[in-house]
Amino acid sequence: MRRATFRRFLPLFASALLGWGCASTPEPAPDLLAPSEEQMKLRSFQTRTFEVKDKNQAMRGVIAALQDLGFIIERANEPLGLVTAARFAEPRYFDVLGITVTVRPQKGGQMQIRANAIYNNEPITDAKVYQNFFATLERSLFIGRN
Amino acid sequence: MRAQIALGVLVAMCCACAQPPTDPGTFFQLTPESAQHRAAQTREFETRDETELLSASAAVLQDLGFQVSESVREVGFLRAAKERGAREYGQEIQRGIVFVLSLALSAAGQSNATQVIPVDLHQQINASLVTRPIAADGSRYEVRVLFYRLVWKSDGQNGDQHIPAGQQKMEMIRDPLIYQQFFARLSKAVFLEAHKI
Repeated sequence: MRRATFRRFLPLFASALLGWGCASTPEPAPDLLAPSEEQMKLRSFQTRTFEVKDKNQAMRGVIAALQDLGFIIERANEPLGLVTAARFAEPRYFDVLGITVTVRPQKGGQMQIRANAIYNNEPITDAKVYQNFFATLERSLFIGRN
Repeated sequence: MRAQIALGVLVAMCCACAQPPTDPGTFFQLTPESAQHRAAQTREFETRDETELLSASAAVLQDLGFQVSESVREVGFLRAAKERGAREYGQEIQRGIVFVLSLALSAAGQSNATQVIPVDLHQQINASLVTRPIAADGSRYEVRVLFYRLVWKSDGQNGDQHIPAGQQKMEMIRDPLIYQQFFARLSKAVFLEAHKI
């Protein structure tokens, strides 16, 4: 009697297991790559426009500011206006702080500078951190030249 | 109990380098040392030829045994690296003392407290160099160079746990003498006097 019950329920159990197996695969959300409000906010923290006409001068200013902040310049690409740098979160030499800065000329003789900073491979989303960076950059772009 | 305390002290000795995490708010703030580091890492040259200055810098780095791994003339940037051994007697002696002590402890106590601390085995010394015009008429340039090193450690043992080789450590090189030597060579190479900032 018990065996018969078991046999009757076995296919049901197996199909339930199968169904559960399929359901457990997560579907990628349709808005995975869609811009979120948070991303827009982050982009505004990360971007600043400066009254600089010459792209090369802006890039050199970025490099000098990063060096003043103790960063090691790793890569620079003049045609694309890209600078990549990193440094250790001293005195902890195991924590690494990375930054990519892009310099893009705008219409009307302005320069748009965007910085993306990461700390141990996690993006930094704190607006204050970017404010500090741009304050140093401003000094390097305008006061640094004599 | 005594053995456990001794083991604790031993482990604390090995972990003495652990530091509290840095506050992310300070990441992009200039520190009181920033100006000092800048002064040690930078020299000014009265020249109009940036390309010559950059190429002479590459030559000096080559003379010092570096391999240039990246160069961008448009923004006056050079990156170079060299590999060297990093073994030091001091570390080997420390490793030996800790091992003998831990062996005596594990013989006396119940637990296996064998400690073999990893020592520095190999290092890569890196240089990141940038030239920058500092006069509006392009008659003066500054050269800023930064040296740092990556150190690979050998394997070790913590009780029953094996610490694999290859653990990495990074370190900025701040010794002013190294920078002075570099700039002395550079000014010789470009036949120009290097001015401190």
